[in-house]
Order: sequence, then C-alpha cells, then structure tokens
Amino acid sequence: MGSKYNRYVLVILTIFCVVLIGVTSFSDGWLTPLRTGVGYVLIPIQTGVNKVGVMIYDELADYTKLKTALDENRRLKEEIDRLTEENNRLSAEQFELQRLRELYELDQEYMQYEKTAARVIANDSGDWFQVFRVDKGSADGVSVGNNVMAGGGLVGIVTDVGAHYATIRSIIDDSSRVGAMAIQSGDTCIVGGDLTLYVEGRLRISNIQKGADVKDGDRIVTSNISSKFLPGILIGYATDITLDNNQLTSSGYLIPAAQFHNLQEVLIITEVKEDGNSSDD
Amino acid sequence: MKFKRAVINLGLIIIAFTIQNCVFPLIPFLSASPNLLLILTFSFGFIEGQRAGMWYGVLAGLLLDLFYSGPFGFYTLFYIYVGYINGICTQYYYEDYITLPLILSVLNELAYNMYIYVFRFLIRGRLNFLYFFRHLMIPEIIFTVVTTLLLYRLILFINRKLKEFESRRDTTIV
Repeated sequence: MGSKYNRYVLVILTIFCVVLIGVTSFSDGWLTPLRTGVGYVLIPIQTGVNKVGVMIYDELADYTKLKTALDENRRLKEEIDRLTEENNRLSAEQFELQRLRELYELDQEYMQYEKTAARVIANDSGDWFQVFRVDKGSADGVSVGNNVMAGGGLVGIVTDVGAHYATIRSIIDDSSRVGAMAIQSGDTCIVGGDLTLYVEGRLRISNIQKGADVKDGDRIVTSNISSKFLPGILIGYATDITLDNNQLTSSGYLIPAAQFHNLQEVLIITEVKEDGNSSDD
Repeated sequence: MKFKRAVINLGLIIIAFTIQNCVFPLIPFLSASPNLLLILTFSFGFIEGQRAGMWYGVLAGLLLDLFYSGPFGFYTLFYIYVGYINGICTQYYYEDYITLPLILSVLNELAYNMYIYVFRFLIRGRLNFLYFFRHLMIPEIIFTVVTTLLLYRLILFINRKLKEFESRRDTTIV
C-alpha cells in the first residue's frame, strides 16, 4: 500500500515504456495486430460519435434560422417546421452531392490510379500534429504508404492501417516531406510541412537547385523520383521563391491545392509506389 | 467492485478520447481544444492518490499510443508521470478546494506541451520556441484550464457517486 510499492511500479512502468519507445522507433510492424484489435472496438464508437456530432452541429446551425422564421410566421409554425426539417435533409444532401461531385471530378482527372473514397472520422487531439483517421482500412484495399487526395490535390499519406480504419499524416504536418517537381520544367524540390506556416495555410518548398526554372505561380506536382508518392499528383502552387543564403539553392512557399480545414471526404489511391528503397520520409 | 470501477473509468477515458478527437474538431470557433484525457488523469491522481493516478495514466496513455503511429509508449510514459506526480498532491486534497486543481492543470498542460515540443520538434531542429509557445501552448492551456473549471466538479461528483455506490453495496453484504 505504501509509497514504496508505488515507486516500484513507477520504475517498472518507466523502464517498460522506454524500452517500447526504443524498440518501436526502429520497427513498429509487430504492433499492427494490437492496433487493429483496439480499432475493432474504437472505430464503431468514433464513427457513431462523429455522426452524432455532425448531426448536432447541423441542427445547432439551423436552429437560429428556424427561430427568426418562427417569429415572422407564427401561424405557419407547423408548416415551417416540416419544411425546415425537409430543407435540412435536402441541403445536407445537396452539400454532400457537391462534395462528391468534386471528388468525382478529381477522380476523372487521376483516372489511371485505383482509388477508394473514405470519410474522415477523427482528427488529432491537439494542434501539434496534423494527423487524421478515416473509416476505410485494409479490408477496403488500403495499405500503408497509400497516397491520399481531396479537393484537387495531395492531402497526405497513410501511415498506419487497421482492418476498418487508416491513419493519415497530412502534408501540412511538421514532419512531412514530399519529393516534388515543377510541372513545366521538371526541376525537383522538396515540399515540407511547417507548423509555423500552418496558420497561413502554406507549406515550405526547399532544395531547388540554383538556376532551376521554378517561378511564382508554377504548378508543383509529386516527383517521379519520390519513393513514396506516385508521380504527377498536384500538390499546389509555388510562391515567394528566393535564393538561399548559401547561393546554391532556392526556397519558397507553396499554397496547397487541397483545403485542409474541414476535410470530410478524401480519396485514397490504393496503389503503393513500387520502389526498392523507401527509406526517406 | 474494483473491477466495476475500472470498467467505468475505462468507459470515461474512451468517452473523453472520442469527444476530443471526433467532436472538438467540428466546433468551428475552437481554435485549440482542451485536453480532456490530461484533465481526467491528473484529477484522478489528485483525488485518488498516486497508485490510482498511475494506472489511470497507463490506460489513457496506451489509448493515445494505440491511436497514433510513432514510437509506442511515448504518451504512456508521460501520462504515468502525470498520474504519479499529481498523486503526491493528494495530501492537500480537499473536496471544495478548486484553486489547487486549476494551478495543477496549468502546470500539467505546460509540461505536456513542453514534452511534445522537446521530443518531437526540438530534436528535429525547430528552434523558434516562442512561436510555438504563443500559438499552440497558450491557447491550449487556456482552454484546458477553463474546461478543468467546468469538468472538475463533474469528476468529483462521479467519484463521490462511485464511492457511495460501493459503500452501499458493502453494507448490504454485511
């Protein structure tokens, strides 16, 4: 009961954690079954809560509109109620239709890749990491390393997958690095996420060779030589390209094509880039 | 009885975790989200003592570690210490005393954010600490403290009910 026992347990737990951190820093493949198992329990809960949350949020937003309508037309209260309810449902469907249409257009644009659409069900719990989870997993053909798109551009990469869920690290995450190139000149660069630029909705472009033809407004796409990203997916547009202090490379910023706030549906390309070395991030 | 409490606590953790991940991101005016799991862990450590806090930390940390890829045990390690260290303060625990939990909440949030900053950002050479401090830590700390103010009473209430329930069971058996 005493504090000696507590200290004993604390030390054991600490050692246990440190060893686990050490081991999993090198390979965490053996944890996948465990994560999938927990996923079986958690994913239905998360999907449910997410649905309820969206529903409550929609209703809250419409409640204000409904109130003014009631003041104006007390007589037509019942009628308005009925119509509002119908309107809610239809407008929600309309928005969904619009989003799905956009997704479909994107689908047409990147015809050559095999894709599956997925719904975002959970976001990261803080602002430190831009990681989110979707409701499709290995049972739908999703695997680690799959590229993810939405709204016309690259969103991220699958880092972790269970039977019915997948965790995606978006390209705006601070640790994300994407091998990219300017579409018209083919000059390569690296597009990296940066937490300090995240609020402005920008990413960082670096490692452009001196003399390379990358101008403001150029379309930046995933590069052929990237080991993890399929070539030719639009990432965004270059801006503010300047020469670095070392006079050897240029760098600048990128405005992403995909909209990251309020991401609800994404397309996962269920095709992993076949490449012997996939060591870089 | 212990088993029943563990199940209820596990349920609480899962609910907090789900709300944190699935509901808070939907609220548009929330620029930062309060860290519910941290509030739960340190509150239970503070109310129940070191041992309970520690095991609570293990549960909360494992859940976070299972959810996110990256080195496994990273969150667990931190949450264990949150439960343990806040458990030390349990000797000053007094039911209607809200000031100390609020101070603890600030300190815990600060420690949590520093832990992430140092081990996930500083080691990758992200040196502009002031930016992170202003834009990430301060909002999250403020939101968490406000939530603690609201939530702490609820946690106390749940805890009291659980205890009442147990003691009632015990007396009927005797």
